[in-house]
Amino acid sequence: MGIEPGRIHFSWVSSAESTKFVDVVKKVTSEVKALGPNKRFVKKKAKVA
Amino acid sequence: MKVIKIDKQDFTSGIEKLADSYRLFGPVKEKESYAFQKLEKGQLPDFNFKNTRLSIKSVINPQSEVMFEYSLDEKQTDHHVMKEAKKDYSPRAIFGVRPCDGKSMVLVKPNFDTLEYKDNYWLDSYNCTTFVGLACNDPCSTCFCTSAGSGPFDETGLDVLLIDMDDYYIAKAVTSKGEALLSAASWDTAGTLDDVEDKKSKAEKKIKTSVSIDNIKDRSINEIHQASFWEDIAFSCINCGTCTYVCPTCWCFDIQDENSGKSGVRMRNWDSCMFPLFTMHGTGHNPRGEKTQRVRQRFMHKLKYYLDKYDQGIQCVGCGRCIQSCPVNIDIRRVCNIMNDYNYE
Amino acid sequence: MIGYIDKIKEISKGLLEEKKVDMIIGFRKGTVPMINEPCVAKTSADVDNFVWDSSCGINLANYLTGRKEKIGIIAKGCDSRNIVNHIIENKINREQLTIIGVPCKGMVDRSKVKALVSSDIEEVIEKEDTMVISGADFEKTVKTSDVISKNCTICMHRNPVIFDELVAEEVDEQKDVNRYEDIDKIEAMDSGEKWNYFEDMFKSCIRCYACRNACPLCYCPTCFVDESKPQWVGKSQDPIDIWTFHFLRAYHCAGRCTDCGACVRACPMDIDVRLLTKKLEKDCFEMFNWEAGLSIDKRPPLDVFNADDPDGFIK
Repeated sequence: MGIEPGRIHFSWVSSAESTKFVDVVKKVTSEVKALGPNKRFVKKKAKVA
Repeated sequence: MKVIKIDKQDFTSGIEKLADSYRLFGPVKEKESYAFQKLEKGQLPDFNFKNTRLSIKSVINPQSEVMFEYSLDEKQTDHHVMKEAKKDYSPRAIFGVRPCDGKSMVLVKPNFDTLEYKDNYWLDSYNCTTFVGLACNDPCSTCFCTSAGSGPFDETGLDVLLIDMDDYYIAKAVTSKGEALLSAASWDTAGTLDDVEDKKSKAEKKIKTSVSIDNIKDRSINEIHQASFWEDIAFSCINCGTCTYVCPTCWCFDIQDENSGKSGVRMRNWDSCMFPLFTMHGTGHNPRGEKTQRVRQRFMHKLKYYLDKYDQGIQCVGCGRCIQSCPVNIDIRRVCNIMNDYNYE
Repeated sequence: MIGYIDKIKEISKGLLEEKKVDMIIGFRKGTVPMINEPCVAKTSADVDNFVWDSSCGINLANYLTGRKEKIGIIAKGCDSRNIVNHIIENKINREQLTIIGVPCKGMVDRSKVKALVSSDIEEVIEKEDTMVISGADFEKTVKTSDVISKNCTICMHRNPVIFDELVAEEVDEQKDVNRYEDIDKIEAMDSGEKWNYFEDMFKSCIRCYACRNACPLCYCPTCFVDESKPQWVGKSQDPIDIWTFHFLRAYHCAGRCTDCGACVRACPMDIDVRLLTKKLEKDCFEMFNWEAGLSIDKRPPLDVFNADDPDGFIK
């Protein structure tokens, strides 16, 4: 629908996979940071016509 | 009142002049249909339209309108205070208002302008507007304005009526507000109404469908309310809001507060008697929980309650928009005539 | 297809006279061209008002939800698939229904026809494969198959998939159609182009909810947009609220949508809302080899778990 694909991640991490969890979090945060603040699909305060 | 002849090239220059003293609105083509929009500098209203999908209600009484603004930030001195939203009510002119839409303003006004209450949002918006009508030389097959108290050349509710005479326009000032607009545009060549009558009767003859209300007037509310035809009329209805939203005379709205962080607005949005939520009580009880009740409400309001309450005809101008847009072909002409012709005994 | 009506009337009258059903849901002649109105017949005399032609596009399965009577219903391919959905989702019992199946060659798209002429269409007379469109100053003959709705042009199930009576011999199912041409086009866009595309698409939405209410799948007692405790979606013309409504509604139809086109047909603003549900229909087809509403014995893919369900998106 027009959201940058890098903002959405799916992963399956078992509670025993602590290193995988850390890797996933690092990857997600770095990819989202690279994209910068989200401008799309953000509701703005209603304008006075 | 003045009658002015406007050559088509002078029309363009007049519009440019008016842009200095008015905010201009008019029909604009959007994909396959037309909508009333604010005209940008140098933009002309597009008169190649039959009728717009939404009426001028979308300008006078917009679908979403902010009424108040507030702050919840306690560092602000005026936090938790509802403040009137500041709006631009400087003079505005709407071009290309079809006579049905002009008439709708007269029908809608008593709801917003009563002795007891004044709806200032609607009134300010209405009062700042000069309505420049455009007579219908070529009405649609769904039009039935002539039997709904209006007509393709009706001036009611308008300030100026423009008549397209092919090579030029005849502008008939209906009010002093309208005369002021004509002067501001430097449209000042005197014209005559000699050829207008012919155009008018030709246009009226093109309207082939009609509604009758004499019997509705004489019958009691209960008789019509309890008649047996409602279930058949309502069966196909899917209870969407299309008919009420495209209708120039449907005026209902809902008030909502919308918060965003530490500030927010109180706004109103069009609402529709077709939606179950419209009448839902806080208790969960819904007095119009069934679709037949809601369909009956819409037609009773337009064709009976309004007629009885205001004594100025039905709350319908015969624009035919609901007929064209209804997804399941519920036709107000058919419903009105069923209500009128039914054998009440 | 116009020849079906005699058989439809004959079957309908028989069902009512034999008291096999309490009512029959069909169409009566519309008051304006190219749209007939859904109606109910409870007597043989009512049946005389029934019509059948290419202007019977409205999905009649929408009128079955939660009804208690014994009902006869006239069903095209898509209606029949939505009846299957209704049975699977317990919105109606199979035993209540007598399905009068109608093989279909597609239903007319009013906007397509209106776009062919510059003035108002006053009358449309349907012949076997053509339609004669006329107005105050014109008359034009068009091939019906050229003006049927987009979803009908790519329909793979024109014949009813479930029925008790069939009004005519089955029509040939279409082959070699590109079912997902418009979806492929959107999928090929980058995210910025998609954003602009949808922004333009929903600009004219007036939130009348005709798309939702015309959809046989949208029968929730309270739709999420109408919830007030909590209120999930704002009520104004805010574009994000409008998008939220359309996208979420589409997701609620995933694995259920038959691509009947009711949503598009109902939209007073000509928004192609069907594109959203069509994308999900495509995904269900490609990932689960699933087409909704084909059998009352199969559970939809979102109802069941299989070890081999595609999960390539989980990293």
